[in-house]
Amino acid sequence: MVSQKHVFWEALVIAVFVFGVGLLFGLWVENMRTDDIIEMYSQSDLSLLDLKLQTDILDLEISCKNLIKSNIEFADQIYFESVYLRKYEDSNTLSSSIILQHKKYDLLRTMLWINSIKIKEKCDADYVNVVYFYQYDDPSLEQKARQSVFSKVLEEVKNRQGDKIILIPIAADLEIKSLELLKSQYNITKFPSILLDEKIKITEIEDIADVEKYFN
Amino acid sequence: MEIVSIIYLVFMFIALYMFFFFIILILKNRNEVFEYPLPMKKYYVSVLTPAYNEQDTIEDTIKSVLNSTYDSDYLEMIVINDCSKDKTGDVVRALTSKYKNLKLIDNKENLGKAASLNKAIKIAKGELIAVVDADSYPKKDSIYKLTGFFNDEKVGATTSAVLLRHKKKFLEKLQAIEYVVMAWTRKLLDFIDSVYVTNGPLSMYRKEALEKAEGFDPKSITEDIEVTWHILDLGYKTKMCLDAIVYTSAPNNFKAWYRQRERWGIGGIQAMLKYRKTFLRKGMLGFFVIPFVLISMLLSMGVFLFGIYLVSRSLISFFFSTKYSLVTNTALLRLQDLNLNPSILIFFTIILFTTSWLYSRFILRAMRKKDSEDQQFWKAFNRVFYLLVYLTLYPVIWFTSIYRIVKGDYRW
Repeated sequence: MVSQKHVFWEALVIAVFVFGVGLLFGLWVENMRTDDIIEMYSQSDLSLLDLKLQTDILDLEISCKNLIKSNIEFADQIYFESVYLRKYEDSNTLSSSIILQHKKYDLLRTMLWINSIKIKEKCDADYVNVVYFYQYDDPSLEQKARQSVFSKVLEEVKNRQGDKIILIPIAADLEIKSLELLKSQYNITKFPSILLDEKIKITEIEDIADVEKYFN
Repeated sequence: MEIVSIIYLVFMFIALYMFFFFIILILKNRNEVFEYPLPMKKYYVSVLTPAYNEQDTIEDTIKSVLNSTYDSDYLEMIVINDCSKDKTGDVVRALTSKYKNLKLIDNKENLGKAASLNKAIKIAKGELIAVVDADSYPKKDSIYKLTGFFNDEKVGATTSAVLLRHKKKFLEKLQAIEYVVMAWTRKLLDFIDSVYVTNGPLSMYRKEALEKAEGFDPKSITEDIEVTWHILDLGYKTKMCLDAIVYTSAPNNFKAWYRQRERWGIGGIQAMLKYRKTFLRKGMLGFFVIPFVLISMLLSMGVFLFGIYLVSRSLISFFFSTKYSLVTNTALLRLQDLNLNPSILIFFTIILFTTSWLYSRFILRAMRKKDSEDQQFWKAFNRVFYLLVYLTLYPVIWFTSIYRIVKGDYRW
């Protein structure tokens, strides 16, 4: 008869080992995703610096048309990156490093917003700045559903209006001081909220037309 | 990390531990799973069969016992007719002329299973007492295979592998899988002397152990669980022979199945309450059996509540999404919203499901050669349904069992 007295701790050792390997594998996968985001962010960061430089040297008779085009392209780029970011965030459960990346992206988007305002002023551009503020940290189920619908509506509007709008989604509760200042200036207190051209605030949507009417 | 993820990972760790615990037991004992000790002497065995309204099955039960390979000079069978309203008594009486070692006790009033057994134990001549349910049919050599375990004087009880006789209906097929898994699991627990139930269809007890335990407890709704724990509490070992097969009938409709499982649940909780003082204090009962049953119960209920929480969240979320999507006339689901980046929790779930699948497949294959009856029950669809749906009903049964205990409802 084989001795059975060691079974209890042997099972414990193997369970700890397999569980540990599983956790390490999970952390590795999540870190790879974070690395993807970091790489995308670095590219976007470079693009923004380039764009800011273009805006700053506007006085040197750089074409407004090209600048507006660059701005729209950059806005589209980081909008699509935000979709990746959201999916990775939904899947990551073990590490919280991706939240830091989200904060950095939000800073980037805030800078894009400021830059878009500047370009509009300097070039008299006809695009509309659409800044979408949503709650990132622990929204209620109802709020999450509303935010999801707001996102879909804005995505639909962006698809229809194309370059007429610059869509900038920003998580509004990540304690970024510059953003807090802007929120306070435009009196953004409820989420989700949409701010159109720094003038019109929308907190309720009943139809896509509610948003689209501002562009026609 | 979110609290939900932490809870999930804790459940997952416990499940992994239990899984590896059984896997190690299989690997260490793979050559002995179907082994049984040969009896060192001829034990006199008294087979007791309580019967209440069993006219359709009792004859086959008697024949399967008395036509067994066990030496008839060392075998007696006592049927206790517990005031049946049908012709159970007449059927048995007619067979007493054919089988000299068959006795019938006619109860004047309905005493219940435990009290009927206790009455028969008093007149039983056997050094070993076997209990066979009136709707169960041991294979010819099953009684013999159980006796050898009693060579070890510390063994107080042995039990058999229960398989289903009829596996036509879907519910019966699911139970057939379950019975094989249960039999195999009990055999693995045998290697650590922790068989926690000696089943009703065929179990054998040392008479001395039963007498010390003062027989079966009439107050317990599952006397077989209670007596096993009592015997363990007295310091005896309990064993299981996987090669001693007994066929039985199982409920073939959901209501009867549910009532039976509720009864098992209530019996388990009753036993835990009765022997709570031995928890983590005394022998395998206190250090393994009670914690094992308790953790299984709590884990199953915990996972269920956790599942309910997650499903409720999803449903509420879906409700709000639908509501706002309808209001704004936007698509509820879009292809681009699909997230093809699985989380680590999904990896763990897949690992656990796959290992459970392989475990069930392995034991069903191993038991295949032992089951002479229809074997179509273990097809893939039935096993998937068993793992994903059937097992999820267990926690519901625990909840309703607890509710009935709180209400004081101990009806059969």
